[in-house]
Amino acid sequence: MKQVLTILVADDNPSDLVLLESILSQLGHNVVLATNGRDAIDKFDPLSIQLVCLDVEMPNKNGWEAALEIQSIAGDVFVPIIFLSGVTDIMMLSNCLNIGGTDFISKPYKPALITAKLNAIVRLLVTQKTLAEQRDQVASYNARLLEDQEIAKVVYENITNSNCLKDSALSTIHYGSDTFNGDVILAAYKPNGGMHLLLGDFAGHGLSAAIGALPLADIFFDWTKKGFLMRQIIPEINARLKKILPSNMFCSAAFIDIQVNNSSIEVWNGGLPDLLFFSQRARRPIRLASNNLPLGVLSPDAFECQIDPISFVTGDRLIAFSDGVYEAADSSGNMFFQSILEPLYAGDIEASYSVEWLMEQLQKEKVLENPHDDISCLGVRLDSNIGVSSPKQSLPKSHHEAPADFSFEYVLNADSLRNTDPLPYVLQIITTVPGLSNFSSQIFMILSELYSNALEHGVLQLKSHKKDSSDGFACYYEERERNLASLSEGYVKISVKVSSDDSNRTLVLYVEDSGDGFDFANIKHNISDTELLYNRGLALLDQLCYKVEFTKGGSAVAAHYHWNVD
Amino acid sequence: MVESFFDNQSECLTIKVKGRFDYSCHKMFKDAFTSTKVANSYEVNLSEVMYLDSSALGMLLLLRDYAGGASSVVKLTHGNSAVVEILTIANFHRLFEIS
Repeated sequence: MKQVLTILVADDNPSDLVLLESILSQLGHNVVLATNGRDAIDKFDPLSIQLVCLDVEMPNKNGWEAALEIQSIAGDVFVPIIFLSGVTDIMMLSNCLNIGGTDFISKPYKPALITAKLNAIVRLLVTQKTLAEQRDQVASYNARLLEDQEIAKVVYENITNSNCLKDSALSTIHYGSDTFNGDVILAAYKPNGGMHLLLGDFAGHGLSAAIGALPLADIFFDWTKKGFLMRQIIPEINARLKKILPSNMFCSAAFIDIQVNNSSIEVWNGGLPDLLFFSQRARRPIRLASNNLPLGVLSPDAFECQIDPISFVTGDRLIAFSDGVYEAADSSGNMFFQSILEPLYAGDIEASYSVEWLMEQLQKEKVLENPHDDISCLGVRLDSNIGVSSPKQSLPKSHHEAPADFSFEYVLNADSLRNTDPLPYVLQIITTVPGLSNFSSQIFMILSELYSNALEHGVLQLKSHKKDSSDGFACYYEERERNLASLSEGYVKISVKVSSDDSNRTLVLYVEDSGDGFDFANIKHNISDTELLYNRGLALLDQLCYKVEFTKGGSAVAAHYHWNVD
Repeated sequence: MVESFFDNQSECLTIKVKGRFDYSCHKMFKDAFTSTKVANSYEVNLSEVMYLDSSALGMLLLLRDYAGGASSVVKLTHGNSAVVEILTIANFHRLFEIS
């Protein structure tokens, strides 16, 4: 470890000064000489001097005073200081070290001792230099990492955020344990009114957990916008996550579909704690337990989609939370759910206050100060107006529109009725007309109303009054599944005709089914009575369309829709 | 803390986790089943697990994959009620034998 140092030596005794200079020079070091404290301070340059030797007793600032000033000039740079002294007073020598000196050398000088001490100093300097370099490296690496994270965070938030989360029906709370979090809450309006919601919790936390949220959000928003149903979107998300995530990564999630046309919700829970549905008619909330494996665990062919349907009235509430809440330990180290969530499950907490209550409990148990996992909570105040488009949304900009004139027919027989959802594809073709694409949500609503009527009441022969009670509602959908699975004959024909020029813009949606039809003349009299659940669909059609015509004894219906481009 | 024991007769590898079953034992847990010869069946003894989180669930999936996925035999045994509750919420009883 041979290193040449530049050493500043200050001593008012010329013979001592010259002696030390010659010893140091013989060891190969460069020496800068000073004759008093002031002189030493003036000659000190932290960039060139690596070691300072100061006589304790000097005129014009003594060694200690000079040492303090030299240290302050050196700032962050470590420059060891050695005191030179003829006295052997223990108190005085220890004081040298107390004010920050590295060592002291007693006079008269002993060359062997000075050599040994200098070697020790050189070792110290080398270590110090290495440490300083490493510190700077770590600091710059850390700064770069933080910068990268900030950029990634912006991208992440842009992808996983939607303005829909600000809907007044929703309240969300989130506490992350890292810059990135493994929890996501997604919300998107559906084209036919209502909303899709997803609360997801990826295994682990930090960046590695957050990365899976990107494809999840991508599919969620894109497929919802295109009009796909929850039971189509969930398997797609599962398949994508299974394909791209390592096998120890998965996403526990709850998917909520709010349907406004029949005031119902459907809930899929895969791996999250029970969701709670607070009906205003019942004291205790209904618990919607996880009946599914989390997303990204099962291969697409093994994946099943167990869904709970519930009908609601305006003012009912739903809450969901991630297992950060559930697994959190309380202040005495017990796991949270056992004791603390009990009042919530028992219905002792006012529904409208439940999200705040939950946060208060977490606060009280000091979970939020140091969350070991991400904690998210989502509350929904159910309302049949959620996502029903406001007028300003559907006002398109005035523009000239090229004429359009086309028609097509899409007939689905039993096998295809079982396995396909034709609506997104039909919608996609219709919305190739620029003017019509501005009204895609209304058109989708009409189309899905016509199609589900034809399929459920026409082909599957289900009676809609069964949906009246909330029990019946679930039964209705079970029966629908069952009948559809065993369907061997029947058809639904969708026929679309668009003609549009400057004076007349018409879309005719004609849907015919293989069923027996129904007494449409009689039902029409009651159309204003929206209290009758099964009339709501028809009332809606009447409102949106220029005219609705039934033919073939009720087994065929044509909806005429007019639109403006101004 | 992770311990493992290989029964030569039944060719069953038993992995015992103690204390907190979370990301901190990721390496030990993985080593426990990758560093021995391939077993016929696997048992994860959870009797001394006080706590388990989602990364532990991920590690169990990793073991299941290693053991042959759908054709694997992986038993999760002796978990306390809180541990079993978390396994149940995740519907892991459909992937593992839980007793």
